[in-house]
Amino acid sequence: MTEKKEYDVLVLGGGISGSESALNLAKQGFKVILVEKDLSLGGKMIHLSKVFPTLDCSACITTPKVSETARHPNIDIYTFSEVRDIEKLNSGDFQVTLVQKPRYVTEDCTGCQLCEDKCPVVVNDQYQWDLVGRKAIYVPFSIANPRIAAIDIENCSLCGACEKVCPANSIDFSQVEMQTPIVVKTVIIAIGFNLFDPTLIPRYGFGKYKNVVTSMQMERQLVPTRPFNNVLRPKDGKMPDNIAYVLCAGSRDETVGNPICSQVCCMYSTKQAQLLMGALPMADVTVYYLHIRAFGKGFCEFYQQAKGMGVEFIKGKIGLITEKENGNLLLRYEDIESGNIKEAEHDLVVL
Amino acid sequence: MKQKIGVYICQCGSNISDYVNVEEVAAQAEKIEGVALAKTTMFACADSTQKEIEEDIKSRQLDAIVVASCSPKLHLFTFRNVAIRAGLNPFNYVQVNVREQCSWAHSNNPKQATEKAIHLVIAGIERVKHSKALPAIKISADNAVLVVGAGVSGMRAAIELAKMGTEVVLIEKNHFVGGRVSQWNKLFITDETGQEVVARLYQEVKNHNKIKLFTGTELISKSGGVGNFDIQIQFTPRYVLTTCKPDWEKIQKAISLCPIEVDDDFNFGLTKRKAIYKNFPSELPHIPAIDIVNCNKCGECVKVCEEVDLEQQVEKLNFRVGAILLTTGADSYEPKKGEFAYQEIDNVITLQQFKRLIEISGKELLYHGKKIRNIAFIYCVGSRQQDGENKYCSRYCCTSVIHSAILVKEKYEGIFNFHFTRGVRTYGKQEILYNKAAKQGDIFLQSFEDSPTEVTSENGKTIVKINDILTANMEIEVEADLVVLVTGMVPRENTAISSLLKIPIGRDKFYNEVHPKLRPVETVIDGILIAGTCQSPKTIMESVNSALSAAAKANSLLRTGEIELEPTLAVIDKETCDWCDACAAVCPYDAIEKSEVNGKFVAQIAKANCKGCGMCLPVCPVNAIQLDGYTDVEMEGMISALVS
Repeated sequence: MTEKKEYDVLVLGGGISGSESALNLAKQGFKVILVEKDLSLGGKMIHLSKVFPTLDCSACITTPKVSETARHPNIDIYTFSEVRDIEKLNSGDFQVTLVQKPRYVTEDCTGCQLCEDKCPVVVNDQYQWDLVGRKAIYVPFSIANPRIAAIDIENCSLCGACEKVCPANSIDFSQVEMQTPIVVKTVIIAIGFNLFDPTLIPRYGFGKYKNVVTSMQMERQLVPTRPFNNVLRPKDGKMPDNIAYVLCAGSRDETVGNPICSQVCCMYSTKQAQLLMGALPMADVTVYYLHIRAFGKGFCEFYQQAKGMGVEFIKGKIGLITEKENGNLLLRYEDIESGNIKEAEHDLVVL
Repeated sequence: MKQKIGVYICQCGSNISDYVNVEEVAAQAEKIEGVALAKTTMFACADSTQKEIEEDIKSRQLDAIVVASCSPKLHLFTFRNVAIRAGLNPFNYVQVNVREQCSWAHSNNPKQATEKAIHLVIAGIERVKHSKALPAIKISADNAVLVVGAGVSGMRAAIELAKMGTEVVLIEKNHFVGGRVSQWNKLFITDETGQEVVARLYQEVKNHNKIKLFTGTELISKSGGVGNFDIQIQFTPRYVLTTCKPDWEKIQKAISLCPIEVDDDFNFGLTKRKAIYKNFPSELPHIPAIDIVNCNKCGECVKVCEEVDLEQQVEKLNFRVGAILLTTGADSYEPKKGEFAYQEIDNVITLQQFKRLIEISGKELLYHGKKIRNIAFIYCVGSRQQDGENKYCSRYCCTSVIHSAILVKEKYEGIFNFHFTRGVRTYGKQEILYNKAAKQGDIFLQSFEDSPTEVTSENGKTIVKINDILTANMEIEVEADLVVLVTGMVPRENTAISSLLKIPIGRDKFYNEVHPKLRPVETVIDGILIAGTCQSPKTIMESVNSALSAAAKANSLLRTGEIELEPTLAVIDKETCDWCDACAAVCPYDAIEKSEVNGKFVAQIAKANCKGCGMCLPVCPVNAIQLDGYTDVEMEGMISALVS
């Protein structure tokens, strides 16, 4: 047994919140251990395109924070790791079991991606929200930190092609889960959120109609490292020219167990609509909303700006989405301003 | 002159490379004399690229680097640190902005954008060629913070700072602490009262020996900079001794004897108060104050209460602090006369008045003697103005008014609430409150953006009329006993302090942060932080969040007792200088002093004060001043490259 590792603070989650808190504490002189479940730091924010209302490039403002965190001498980072059994000791400290899952690739990996070329297995790429594929051995994404490949062992065929081609000899199938006890004085929970699962609202047809996508799938199509270098509809790869946003999909809805407002969706939809106006200058964008919650600093002005750019905002909740043969979608809604039930056709729907 | 320069052209994903031919820029850069290598990269700021640059510096023995990417505002320090880690002086690095100043600005013309990028990059190379290695300048810093404003934000920040070991000087302009929150009764979500929250914080402030609290006090002067601000504060007399514990019975008597009656600001003019006053019995500090402007010095109060001292004088105190945190708060919007019939029809009041009215009313809710049944709330008064000055949303008012509507119904029977909204913005968990109001039977209506709600008086009745979106443009009229204008927050008039500290103001006239997402509590002035509603409208929770964040920032800035300054300072050539005073006269930071060297008077730079602004350079008649990092030879090199 090695000596027990001791830290002042355990930060759970290496997204923007976890990084920021770890960095501030480290600068104040505290020893920090940051544990991230995923293969890379950066959380959700590193995958976003631009952020409202300043339209800063999200990757550009997240990566320096991430690399500063990764490099700080007072911060120890464990990616692809989790904690188990947090237990409060009599001293007030917490005894925690740190669990490092095997990547099957050692830290000698240079991120050259030669292995990816050779790997014969293709599965959905979770970092592109399943829009495209990746290999069973893969560097998570181009600006991942650490930029080290990992083997998705559940899908790996164990063919050994990667092992043969790796110039750094970094493939190691013998890795096993490692458990290390640590003692910390405080725990900060910054584990972030999950996107609402839209299959819980079957009437919106997500999963059944290919041209109904989630906001993260649209977000990925708008980032600099976008999979198609353009905005395309998944069913047939056509460029959409009449896009609908369905707001409050899974928020303010007791029937799916979530009565509260998610408070970012109005604004990110407004932002995506603005970016779409740039990416697809000829496309129409319609946002179906209940209330526009543009409450923050500069938000209301940002919403007015979107309206000025020609984004159409319609007050009404979408009741039902059905698919036409050509992949277009019919949206049935109550147009609240006129009091009538209407139907509108769009070629791409973002929930 | 540098001979082995490394040049890196960033694609910024595609932010730059979509419009600028980065390969072409690199090819042109490589041709310049002194350039050892020129590369393009997907994200220069990514960790892997940073490591690559470090490797290059070491293995190719580069003596200077240029990174052409985004604004130095974002990444100047990122790449300076790369240089430091590779053993290169950070001032042998130049950042060239080919994104904001090139690809984004000229997205309609990729060919010329590329041309411009080439020129900018070559100019950067010419500048770095003549760059000097500059030594780091470190100054000592006082681990002490001045917090301006003892509302909930200021007190919460002060407590947190003190707990982290920072000395705090907490000043409050009023004679009582608590700011706006002390004016509110029950608060959402916990139903604690504002007064309870304030009392708890006040006890903690008083109990902490690292916090010095001064009420009735303002900041009147400031000199120096981050780490070492010399500040002077001024006390307005309370005219009641604070040293002894006052006998409350005697004070009650003194208040009742006072012959003066003025409008009570605390209750937004709904009531009157005396010239010797406390706004409410449990207000803190637990000592009354005399409003000397309205006091006629009749001496009645002195007769019964020896603690009153009308001879108290204005006093001043000096402190040295390392940072200043502003938590000066916001004001409520004051509607113009006639705005929704305000001050024209008697029963039109503001939300803030309504909140005080619920609290000070007894068994029945009366306004000017009339019993209230129908209440009409008109939203967004003074916020989201299409033609007026305030384009922003005040964010707290929807929740606040709905909470008040619930409270008034809980307290009084027979109330009917009608909400004339412009779209309800109860974001996050506040949505629960909106549901609760709807379930208790409140009626929500929404006006069209181009036809606002109207308030008129007909035969002594107050009528509120709306074309309602929610009933598909039905015209709806409500006869209201009370009309409540839901007035938002406006920036407080703090011209003295904003000009004293030169605080940047945003387009909405609130104090501005460096970056709304990544540096939300810092200002562009080093060592001056902002929190609470002086920055933007906020709920109490959001105010406290920002206060805690600012406290952590201030502490991490000061706790080592040392601050590193930019070494890009003015340098005097003592041979050439013939003291003429021109530079000292224009220096905005008092950084230039007269000194004697070898029997000759010359100018001398006080390094801790100099900010490297460059004001002194052009006024020097003999060109004896250079700015390190921006020397003439560097600038001339850049200009030649740009015009070639």
